[in-house]
Amino acid sequence: MSERDDILARVRQGAPRRTRHPGLHPPPALPGGWDVFAAALAGVGGEAHGPYSPHALGGALKELVRRRAEGGRAVAEPSAAELAGRGPWETAREPATAHAFADVGVALVKGCAAAADCAAVAVTESDAPHRALPFLCQRLVLLLPVSLLAPDLHRAWALVPAAAARGHHVTWISGPSKTADIEQVLVYGAHGPLGLDVVGIAD
Amino acid sequence: MTTSFDQRALATLPSRGELAQHDAAVWNLRLRRDAAAAEVPDWEALRERAAALKAFTLDHLDELLIGFEEKARAAGAHVHWATDATALCRIVTELLSARGARRVVKSKSMLTEECGLNPHLEARGIEVIDTDLGERIVQLAEEKPSHLIVPAIHKTRREIGALFHRHMGTPEGEDDPERLTRFARADLRRRFLAADAGISGVNFAVAETGSIVIVSNEGNVDLGTSLPTLHIACLGIEKLVPALADLPVFLRLLARSATGQPISAYTSVLTGPRAGGELHIVLVDNGRSALLSNETQRGALACIRCGACLNTCPVYRRAGGHAYGSVIPGPIGSVLGPALGGAAGAELPHASTLCGSCSAVCPVKIDLHGQLLAWRGERYRPPPAERLLSLGAALALRWPVLRGLARAALRLLWPLLARRHSRNPAEAWLAARELPPLPKHSFRAQWKQRERGRE
Repeated sequence: MSERDDILARVRQGAPRRTRHPGLHPPPALPGGWDVFAAALAGVGGEAHGPYSPHALGGALKELVRRRAEGGRAVAEPSAAELAGRGPWETAREPATAHAFADVGVALVKGCAAAADCAAVAVTESDAPHRALPFLCQRLVLLLPVSLLAPDLHRAWALVPAAAARGHHVTWISGPSKTADIEQVLVYGAHGPLGLDVVGIAD
Repeated sequence: MTTSFDQRALATLPSRGELAQHDAAVWNLRLRRDAAAAEVPDWEALRERAAALKAFTLDHLDELLIGFEEKARAAGAHVHWATDATALCRIVTELLSARGARRVVKSKSMLTEECGLNPHLEARGIEVIDTDLGERIVQLAEEKPSHLIVPAIHKTRREIGALFHRHMGTPEGEDDPERLTRFARADLRRRFLAADAGISGVNFAVAETGSIVIVSNEGNVDLGTSLPTLHIACLGIEKLVPALADLPVFLRLLARSATGQPISAYTSVLTGPRAGGELHIVLVDNGRSALLSNETQRGALACIRCGACLNTCPVYRRAGGHAYGSVIPGPIGSVLGPALGGAAGAELPHASTLCGSCSAVCPVKIDLHGQLLAWRGERYRPPPAERLLSLGAALALRWPVLRGLARAALRLLWPLLARRHSRNPAEAWLAARELPPLPKHSFRAQWKQRERGRE
């Protein structure tokens, strides 16, 4: 017997099929909304901006990226560049390896769903094809259409396009990277970004 | 040489005068968990749902594993099966050797700790760098993690500063947590970019889609699994969940129970390899299938490794994680110890007051103290003296005359019992506490006197 069959046979003995799947958890009644999201984001070390109308977005973004990049390199993933228009950033092309992004100061990435109660924004492969970019950059700027903001994680989870959820990677990002491994002192900027901005885009 | 829990506990924290600091740091995590849970209106319903989902998973684990394997392969991942620690180490070594990989970045995985993967790879000339800051600290100190979530919770900033000075060339005397973190960030960034392979653990694996889910706060998991071409994910077979839509239940509980955060900074759901990369998933049994068949103890397989039971445990807080001598410390480690922990694990069910605080905070409602008691009943064979004492107590409780005699004898012996002496049978207790002097009159005598006074 192969190791696989051996393990499965032993597992089968301990799996009596007594219980049924309990079904989906009914989402709690939480307020939701941009202000709730912004407050939760502040609680995890991030900063919310806007929401801006589509015509005000470009100006606000340019100002924010200039401030965050401090003269360094800024890169926008293609779907974020489409939303943001032209500005002090380059559009990410297919690099040979993600290592080409090692010097990026600011990255712009589009979110495809968000949960207000925990300030988590989902980023999928279609919006961030360079999987390492949102982690390699020194500061991350997420663009989030407010129509994609749900009050809680259960409802937000359902907003992630099924195709993206099934075929690719999805990362939920809540605040900048952080650690409290040294005497429990909270430090933002462990290995991933030092800071996170989420820019809301009004309908 | 094997040491006992008491010896290990005394040799670690208290001897260094850091007991109070450890206790406070761990209790702080418990307080944060309480505050976070209080803000969630459906907290108890979530715990119920999580427990039911895990019960379903364990009851259908073989089907779910087969489904997971099929979907993961369809998504482009390679799936391997490892019966035990030796098999895991062999599979990982072969994967690395076949690709000439010499530099590995690793993110937190209790499973690879359990299987001794790091020393196995290092003995074969492969450099393994732990990238979680806490794990990196204990790796540089050549120690083991002492907490599930905060591996270096037993170390002070001064010790860490000295360690970084020796290994990373940080300025002597530098002990500011933020600056030390920045030094580690720069040092590890270089290693992420140079790595040939990334090894990770897995928090959840989704049977419906073949996805693996990894949560972290530092960003090390995502850098380590997306920069190198090769990603090897080590997955205990109990980590399955049925469907993607079941995940929010666990995610809403996990970080709140662990550190009081609403969710971890990063929750990555990976389905298949990244573009141009290779993903190998190793499903590891290593005693889990046997535990699954143990009707009283299988509940421990529901554990999502949040560490809440450690933070609330009066024994863990005062003994420290290294006292357990097992990979996983605290109440959950003591429950898993006799099944997965080898010789050192046998005594662990006694490292508990059975107060039940662990079961009360467990996000998936494992009956931790009940299982600890069950292990004691099953495994513990009391020494003759203890059996004699139990027999005597049983008789005394049965016969009032004997009870009276026992009370009188105890009053006579009390001053001897209270004296510290190596031959005193109560010496183990007296080492850490004093027996108070007996009042002049017993409770019964005082009560009788009181009644007489009323008449």
